[in-house]
Amino acid sequence: MTKPVLRGVLIVAFFALCAFVLVPAFVPRPAFIPGFAPPPDMWPRTVSIVGVVLGALAIFLALRGGQPVEEKVETDGSSVPQMLLRFAGIIAIFVLFFAVVPYVGFLIATMFLTLAMVLMTGERHYRIWIALLSFGGPVLLVLFFHSALGTQFPKGELAKLFGF
Amino acid sequence: MLAEILSALVAVATFQNLLIMAAGIWGGVIVGAIPGMTGTMAVTLALPFTFYMDPVPSILLLVALYKGSTYGGSVSAILIKTPGTASAACTALDGYPLAKQGKAGKALNMALYSSVIGDFLSNLSLIFFAAPLAALALHIGPPEFFMLMLFALTTVAGVSGSSLLLGMVAAALGLLLATVGEDMYGSFRFAFMPDMQAGLSIAPVLIGLFALPELIKLIVMRAAKTEEAAALGAQHVTRAEFMGSLRSILKGSVIGSILGAIPGIGPSSAAFFSYGEAQRSSKNGANFGKGELEGIAASESANNGACGATMIPLLALGVPGDVITGVMLGAFMIQGLTPGPLLFQTNMHEIYMLLIGMLVSSVLLFFAGKITMRMFSKVAHIPQTLLTPLVLLLCIFGIYSIASSTFDVAVLLVMGVVGFGMFLLNIPAAPFLIAFILGPMIEENLRRALAISRGDPAVLLSSPITWVFAALIVFVVSLTIRREITKHKERRVEQ
Repeated sequence: MTKPVLRGVLIVAFFALCAFVLVPAFVPRPAFIPGFAPPPDMWPRTVSIVGVVLGALAIFLALRGGQPVEEKVETDGSSVPQMLLRFAGIIAIFVLFFAVVPYVGFLIATMFLTLAMVLMTGERHYRIWIALLSFGGPVLLVLFFHSALGTQFPKGELAKLFGF
Repeated sequence: MLAEILSALVAVATFQNLLIMAAGIWGGVIVGAIPGMTGTMAVTLALPFTFYMDPVPSILLLVALYKGSTYGGSVSAILIKTPGTASAACTALDGYPLAKQGKAGKALNMALYSSVIGDFLSNLSLIFFAAPLAALALHIGPPEFFMLMLFALTTVAGVSGSSLLLGMVAAALGLLLATVGEDMYGSFRFAFMPDMQAGLSIAPVLIGLFALPELIKLIVMRAAKTEEAAALGAQHVTRAEFMGSLRSILKGSVIGSILGAIPGIGPSSAAFFSYGEAQRSSKNGANFGKGELEGIAASESANNGACGATMIPLLALGVPGDVITGVMLGAFMIQGLTPGPLLFQTNMHEIYMLLIGMLVSSVLLFFAGKITMRMFSKVAHIPQTLLTPLVLLLCIFGIYSIASSTFDVAVLLVMGVVGFGMFLLNIPAAPFLIAFILGPMIEENLRRALAISRGDPAVLLSSPITWVFAALIVFVVSLTIRREITKHKERRVEQ
């Protein structure tokens, strides 16, 4: 399956899921609607159906070869599995970030998130800058937002245990 | 009226407001000068800070960032042949050859002068045309507004990305996402979890969509560019050089002002159009692309000339012309102001303050550009591998501070992944964002129009104004399809 066809299929699948599954299940209609006003599901259903039509058109054009030129994606020459692994790594780190915030607090979680992100870019030089960015950056931002705007960041169970 | 203008002038001319505008311009110039960082990012990153400011200073900050970043884009375009913003792409064509000839300072100065003149003239057009347009808009009702917004959405979908079809798909995605939350009858739509009952906030969606995909791209594809910046060299633009480019500067300013006022066109298209026109009409046309100052003048006057003009449809009709004014629409709403004709009746003082502030910011742009010019070659050297994680850090803290909500941070990260997916599928992000912002208004006006007409969809074509917008939609769609067919044929011939 070529990329334009796959794109069209994904578009149709997504909007069809919305129109025929999500809208009926997650857009409740109130028992009484005044006058001739359209119900709450009218607009999301209409947009979803238009999306299905657009997706079908995208498939049709892809099969006829009438799709726009795909922009060349610049890479470092890594293989597709390698890139998929990196992407999965990003998702895992994002999920881990939310999992650890209640335990270690917002500050420490963002420190490790930033460090992980810098290291995942492949950067290994500028070690002092990496340390300053990962550990100094979140501290400065917490101080700024806390003192300037009064923002209270989640402290986490572990931090509370140590009396912070 | 004169008393109101004087009162607004006094209100704007405070140290705090001048400082905010100067900081915005300076920050915007730096952000625009960094490859990979855009004016949209600068404006969206500043959005959380505006929550704690008064309405007018907050909008002036965003406008200053917009103007600064549009000029700043020319810096990396000239010094390292990497446009900081898309609208500076034409500037690189002549700016970099000039830098290689040791005339980077001259090129930067010409870019600055052209940007300031374009910006100033564009602000004047805003002052003269926004109010009459708003007065006209008072006579239009829900069907007309629905058609107008549909036109804006079609235009944005048509000029963003490589395909009208994919632009429309992006718009449909944005419209659908905008339906999440409570509707006008108290029905909770797509509220998969309690946090979603209030809907998705604009800030995390747009920051996630524009700022985070850059980081994900960098990690997954690792294709960072590291070109060396050129030395500044000869600094001054001579009187003869300036006068030789003046015609292109004025023409570019007018082109920018006209194209900027049309929703969906924006600074990039204006710059390309103006560059093409200058090349066609200049006696130095053959030198364009080889280091011609007039090329820089044409491009920069048009892209900055579009900045003020994009505020015309925003202020007068409540329709954002591009992504950045889309963000500003969000900022207006956050501040409790609804752009559109009524704003000119209920908040005239704020409007005058905004217009005067924009004129002042044109002058500040000149000084900010002059002062920071030497520093630029160092800023452009910041490695992407440190810069993009820093952006993530700023985004996370900024978004959390808006509502002290980890859900908003989750929305930010999820939208980053969505933005990356859209990049992979070649689906443009701009129509998505504009549709997400306009979505509630489009739906409300459609539902009101249908309620008024007792459910008759013919109401959408019931007045001359709706017919005009319908005709414009057909025109834009036909023009875009024709352009795409021509490109397709050219590709086939090349193959």
